Amino acid sequence: MSGKAGRRLLLALLILLAAAGFLLSLLTGPVKTSGADLWNLVRGEATGVQATIFLDLRLSRAILAFLVGASLALSGAILQGYFQNPMADPFVVGVSSGASLGAVLALSLGVNVAVPGFSGQGLMAFASGLGIVSFVYLLSLRKGSFKIETLLLTGIAAGALASALTSFLLFMRSDSFDQAVFWLLGSFQLADWKQVGTVAPYFVICLAASLWLAKDMNLLAMGDETARALGCPVRRVRKAFLVLASLLAALSVSVSGIIGFVGLVVPHWIRLLIGPDHCRLFPYASLAGGTFLLYSDLIARTVLPSELPIGVITAAVGAPFFLYLLHQKR
Amino acid sequence: MTPFEAGTLNRRDSSQGHREGSCPRRHAPQAQAPFLPRLLPARAIALFLVVLTSSIFPALGKCRVPKDVSRNDLPAQAEVLKDDLGRPFPLPATTPTRIVSMAPNITEILFALGLGGNVVGVTRFCDYPPEAVSIAKIGGLVDPNIERIQALAPDLVIAFRGNPLRIVNRLAALKLPVFVLDIGNGLDALYPLIARVGLVTRREKEAEGLAAGLRARQSAVESALGQVREKPRVFVVLRGQGLWTCGGGSYVNDLIARAGAVNIAAAMPKKWVLYSPERILRDDPDAIFILSKSEEDFARGREWLSREVHLDRVRAVVGRRVYMIDENSASRFGPRLVDVLDRMARALHPERFGGKP
Repeated sequence: MSGKAGRRLLLALLILLAAAGFLLSLLTGPVKTSGADLWNLVRGEATGVQATIFLDLRLSRAILAFLVGASLALSGAILQGYFQNPMADPFVVGVSSGASLGAVLALSLGVNVAVPGFSGQGLMAFASGLGIVSFVYLLSLRKGSFKIETLLLTGIAAGALASALTSFLLFMRSDSFDQAVFWLLGSFQLADWKQVGTVAPYFVICLAASLWLAKDMNLLAMGDETARALGCPVRRVRKAFLVLASLLAALSVSVSGIIGFVGLVVPHWIRLLIGPDHCRLFPYASLAGGTFLLYSDLIARTVLPSELPIGVITAAVGAPFFLYLLHQKR
Repeated sequence: MTPFEAGTLNRRDSSQGHREGSCPRRHAPQAQAPFLPRLLPARAIALFLVVLTSSIFPALGKCRVPKDVSRNDLPAQAEVLKDDLGRPFPLPATTPTRIVSMAPNITEILFALGLGGNVVGVTRFCDYPPEAVSIAKIGGLVDPNIERIQALAPDLVIAFRGNPLRIVNRLAALKLPVFVLDIGNGLDALYPLIARVGLVTRREKEAEGLAAGLRARQSAVESALGQVREKPRVFVVLRGQGLWTCGGGSYVNDLIARAGAVNIAAAMPKKWVLYSPERILRDDPDAIFILSKSEEDFARGREWLSREVHLDRVRAVVGRRVYMIDENSASRFGPRLVDVLDRMARALHPERFGGKP
């Protein structure tokens, strides 16, 4: 599907799926609603309760799930290109766990400095996510090049350490059960427009920045030396991408907790379908990631009477498909 | 071969770059048009996105963001209460008719105040009184479903400690009338809790009556006990995974003290504690209470204690002083705690209640 027509088809398919996903998300929930109710809302004749359910509860949640999925997939696409390793993703490299540690730390310490649209939790999540990924990067860098095994193992170890600290902090709090499930497995139950307003602009800026730098990422794939010889400011580009990937992961974690597998699987699917050019990979992966998480959330909140943590769904859906694709490729 | 092997990527990238011209390399020497650098598609999209963000999102952020969680739109003349989180709450003029209870003990108090018919939503744990079971469910204690609560269009939502604060805040942000109540340290806190529920539902008289009745039963137990000289040492077991017990911060600890006994786990500051078998052997309690759901559950619990926790040498087991406490009443901070107190006192000091020692 790497031809131009194939890409167009994929794009159309993704947009169609996303639109259907939004419609389904609006129509399904614990309270029964019909298409007629939704049509009433569009005409402005819905009751207050229905308007709240459709707009404040379901639509905001669907949009947030889409944005978080897109952020995670974009972050994964960046990290995979960055480390030139298909196994890299925000979760494996430890960014997600680091970000979650930061968020929980902010919660426990009551940090309340806020940058426009970014809460204290979000800031701490970003800082510690960036900290962890830099730490992993420095530890696995040997004589100017990566050893993939070192990178993965360092990432897993750093992530495990961060998760352990997170669990410890949560254990010390009295409301730990609910909090632990939220931070370690993810949920969109509390999605609201404020969170959408926080994530959306940062996501768009990150997407814009990564598109701007996409060709440099293509150059990095040839090796730093070659890239430098071709005029790419390697160090600056690498720094920028590291910040972008951490920012995206931290954003997602600070509103929805850790959601695994999206950042690993989605960029992979897209790369297998349209090839490795990052100019296209970044936007396609974002769209696909958003759609994927939209459906995952739909499943998470409808399959059982009480909600499942969304991380359970993404892993259950993502992992087998990933294995299948990987197997077929060989 | 993965797409990551540099050769693959290199080849594809360069071939595409030259063939379609969609993604030529900026840093490569520009062969075609040195004075008219083409704006590359990816970058054009990037620029477009930035412009889009700066123009749309500030507006979007403003349009549907709910206002501050504290309720600013209070009626001027209504008396304003504060809930246990210190948030202002306008006192309803009449008894609310669509009440959502977010905890089993609140449901129980509401029914005890004669408001059972006004309760439209309860948690899936609300099974007492039995009538509560047939009321619409809003989910659990830690996972109440916001959408279900919203759809019930309640005129009063009573939340309790144990409901996640984030969910309570979300409900308040949706402008639902949420009144949050906190658990106290001991039996003394039960009466203010009943009074608060009575006040916010405008059933002050009934609440006073209920509290007075409970107080009378409590003092009957206390006067029967009188001054207990030898206080038995007690261990409480919560049936579940492992040896969970009630620490010094729990109301069960307070009940034990009022029943004329000492909780061996009182030194643990937390409410619920995982105790170690070694400690029980060392403390050698005189009596053991097992909070169980039924007689069979109690029998299994007793079996488990002597078989798997190896407590058969402990004084309580040897002296056959292992008692059942109804888990359902003891685990809810509601009116039935007085029953639990009565049961504990009678089990520990039967001689004071006219029984055989």
